[in-house]
Amino acid sequence: MTPDKKRTIWKTIVATVAVLGVAGLGGAYLFMESGRYNVGTTSQHWQPVHTLLEHGLLKSVRYQARNIEAPSLTAPQMIASGAAVYRARCVQCHGAPGVAQDDLGKSMQPVPGPLVDVTQRWKARELYWITRHGISMTGMPAWEFHLRDDEIWSVVAFLMHMAALSPQDYASLARAEPVK
Amino acid sequence: MMRPRLRHALLLFTLPVLMACSQPASVAPAGLHGNPERGRIALMQYACHACHQIPGITGAKVFVGPRLTGLAERKYIAGRLPVNPDNLVAWIRDPQKIDPLTAMPNLQVTQEHALDMTAYLLTLGHQP
Repeated sequence: MTPDKKRTIWKTIVATVAVLGVAGLGGAYLFMESGRYNVGTTSQHWQPVHTLLEHGLLKSVRYQARNIEAPSLTAPQMIASGAAVYRARCVQCHGAPGVAQDDLGKSMQPVPGPLVDVTQRWKARELYWITRHGISMTGMPAWEFHLRDDEIWSVVAFLMHMAALSPQDYASLARAEPVK
Repeated sequence: MMRPRLRHALLLFTLPVLMACSQPASVAPAGLHGNPERGRIALMQYACHACHQIPGITGAKVFVGPRLTGLAERKYIAGRLPVNPDNLVAWIRDPQKIDPLTAMPNLQVTQEHALDMTAYLLTLGHQP
């Protein structure tokens, strides 16, 4: 192949990619401006989009929380105060064993997950990071400025314990007064 | 103008598709009164998909409650009640009344919405 021919091939490739890229961006812009995209929460994401966003969330949290060191989370007192915080701040959106979330939690999109299965997905330090910093565009607020650090860790302690609770266990734990 | 042979071929291809479309999309079992499409949205708006994987509803791979596929083919709800529309409505509206030990909460589902959910869940297995 002559150098000239090679150059022509490369030019064609670069030009094609550039034109397609500009056309794609332009098309996306026109679609947005047309208002055809439905932002209502009764219309769901496509499953592939949901799966992709969920994967991105997982990777981000893993990375952001990598250097956090979790304290010991097994003291019954800590779990009990975590249960009190959970009842006050979390159950509205996430529910609990045998307890439904409030209407505002039911109808959010993405739907706030049940937290009884968190230990299958997250490590303690990651739960701490999520609770402290929140997750943007999901409705999950950051608690850094509204809960003390020890309160956040106590919630994490409770979460790590929650999978083992029956609805009856949860009811008696959540009924208990917060430990001062 | 299309060549006649191509037109015939296209017609042969599209006819079965059109015929399939004119048939009802799903055959609902007897005793179903709800509206399946409204039921699909209701299942989402009561956060059923937070704990259950439900075909046709976008969500995470959760394993907190059982996957709600092929309910029409199952024999029992929660291992207790025979599957039929009335029992499914009763279970959805107040699961703890049927099984006091269940972790599934009472989600304050109205009778109308429970009927719609039931229509969706019980026609799932019947869809082509």
